[in-house]
Amino acid sequence: MVTSTNTSDRNVVVKVVDLHKTFGTLEVLRGISLDVHEGDVLTLLGASGSGKTTLLRCINHLEQPTSGETFIDGRPLGFQIHASGRRTNASQTSINALRMEIGMVFQQFNLWPHMTAFENIIEAPLRVKKLPRSEVESFATELLKRVELLDKKDEYPARLSGGQQQRVAIARALAMQPRVMLFDEPTSSLDPELIGEVLGVMRSLAKEGTTMIVVTHEIGFAREVSDRVVLLHNGMIEEDGPPEEVIDNPKSSRSKQFFSSILH
Amino acid sequence: MTSFLETAWGRAMWNARDHLLDGLTITLQVTALGFIGAVLIGLALCLITMYIKPLYWPARFLVNFFRATPIICQLMWVNYVWPPLFGWPTSLFQAGCVALALQSAGYLAETFRAGIEGINRGHIEAGRSLGMPAHLVMRRIILPQAFHMMAPAIMNQFMVVIRSSTLVSIIGVADLMHWGHHLSAEWFEPIGIMSTIAVFYIVVIGTLSSLFKWYSERLRNRYV
Amino acid sequence: MIEQLASIVSGFSLFWEYKAVMLPGLWYNFLVFFLVVVFGVILGLIFSTIRLNTNIAIRAIAAFYIGLFRNAPEYITLVWFLYVPALVLSKLLESNVTFEPLVVAVMALSLSAGAFYAEIFRAGILSVPKGQIEAARATGMSRTLTLRRIILPQAMRQMLPEFFNECVSVFKGTTLVSLVMVPDLVYGVNLVSSYTGQALPLYTGIALIYFFIVFTMTSIAEKLSNPWRDKTR
Repeated sequence: MVTSTNTSDRNVVVKVVDLHKTFGTLEVLRGISLDVHEGDVLTLLGASGSGKTTLLRCINHLEQPTSGETFIDGRPLGFQIHASGRRTNASQTSINALRMEIGMVFQQFNLWPHMTAFENIIEAPLRVKKLPRSEVESFATELLKRVELLDKKDEYPARLSGGQQQRVAIARALAMQPRVMLFDEPTSSLDPELIGEVLGVMRSLAKEGTTMIVVTHEIGFAREVSDRVVLLHNGMIEEDGPPEEVIDNPKSSRSKQFFSSILH
Repeated sequence: MTSFLETAWGRAMWNARDHLLDGLTITLQVTALGFIGAVLIGLALCLITMYIKPLYWPARFLVNFFRATPIICQLMWVNYVWPPLFGWPTSLFQAGCVALALQSAGYLAETFRAGIEGINRGHIEAGRSLGMPAHLVMRRIILPQAFHMMAPAIMNQFMVVIRSSTLVSIIGVADLMHWGHHLSAEWFEPIGIMSTIAVFYIVVIGTLSSLFKWYSERLRNRYV
Repeated sequence: MIEQLASIVSGFSLFWEYKAVMLPGLWYNFLVFFLVVVFGVILGLIFSTIRLNTNIAIRAIAAFYIGLFRNAPEYITLVWFLYVPALVLSKLLESNVTFEPLVVAVMALSLSAGAFYAEIFRAGILSVPKGQIEAARATGMSRTLTLRRIILPQAMRQMLPEFFNECVSVFKGTTLVSLVMVPDLVYGVNLVSSYTGQALPLYTGIALIYFFIVFTMTSIAEKLSNPWRDKTR
């Protein structure tokens, strides 16, 4: 596996070991191993059906992997290893506890339509983390300022544009102060003129050193922002390295074909 | 007012105003308790059919049974059969409330199920991805949305409960309809008395249903 | 409780024993059902058409009728029709006018059902987008042709499930006629119950009988409306 040399001394936030996922007879992930270090921005690329979204959903345990292991900050996600060495499925409570450390941003935003933007953001810190309301509210206000939507605080999602909804969704995920942010094609269902504002927020997050795993089709963004690009093909890692290597000088002919089909 | 009191039926109603008010109170109580009971039983049945596999068929049978039996039959069934069999309900009033609740519970169970199934899976995943446990997802994300989406159907069912509440008089509950009927027969003045009672019900139910329609439209506006 | 349940089940034989009361009773339910659906649909068609008229005064008449009977509890409508029209006519004609209970019951229930049918038909017709009607008219189709070929086929799909629901409600509502002395099955069971004192099996049995009939009707209605529904999407 190719990793940049200077990352070895930083903490591994997400560790994926030999992850497999099958849906019925369809093998979507066929042995993925990844280490994501603190502060890394990792972009997952690949044709549709290559397994990028499934990988992301497995890291959050929205899909249960068929086999393989995921660790968040060294803590096993979705399973536990007993002193005897026996492996069992973890309780839902412990999965939920780890999910608090993983923020997820969805392609379809998935804001809760019966709550205002502000209520969407404070819901989980208030009721899952059970933090004091005043603290949660001031942090939520700060987050809304950061995504430049303080004026839309009390709007219901249906009144917001796609770009605005996605920025609220990012704020909602950040409100839990997660160790890592997962982005599942965050701009794919946006009108072209709205993509920029969402990428802008993500860019600033990257600059602040947020650990991020991003599934996207925005090659330009991947090249500019990510420290590392992983190209998936048929559920396996095809390329893994810094963007200038993977995007501009892909090794395999398959990768070359993929980039030429996207870029032209 | 004087012209109202000059008529025989007007005087009869005025003299019996305490009874009529008592009847109205009973009508309101039966309706409110019946509806609240319907919501709770309906919600329980709906959650059981959706999430507790082994109880699916029994719950499903109850939903269909409540829905498919005429309200009159349920009133008589609860009133005559339940007390010797289960030792409850112990009063006509309770029997009336229970029968009204059962009737609407079946419909509401179906309504809630449609509402819950209609919720975007993504909204649920968003909750889970933030570490929300299942009960919190149900209570904070699924149910409020289902209630909003289904508000017109739920409120419609409330109207059904008010209208059916008139039938509790047939098992001897002294509601407004009972007193209307009683006074009409006693004074032999059904034209004035029954018409007044009818107009009263129509105006109250019509007003409530317009209010509810306006309110559920407002709720819906959040979503579009 | 087991004993009681057993005695309830064995008591179901009362329905057979008193079939001379029960069977005609059930027949009355079906007769009322048939008549109310026929008259209700006719009233519904008339008033939904009137409700869609361009003249606001004419529209108001239909709105008044629909509002009146949709909001009035059916039991009150029934009792009102039982006493009031006969009395009013008696006073006007200065003779003793009476109506058959069956006539009263069918009249009251049909007026009620008609209001619900009218709303269902109206919603169905309104569900067809205006643009389609304009498109049909623009190709030179006549009003009736547009109604027959464009509006009705789509409106039918939209309103069929609701229509069947209302028919099932009408059937359930036919049990109310026992309250105005029409000898339907409920009436028969009340009679036999007071005669024999066997309330438990009789009222359980009648609930099951109606459940069986209505559940069958609902299932048939769903089967009938499903193929229509599927075509729309």
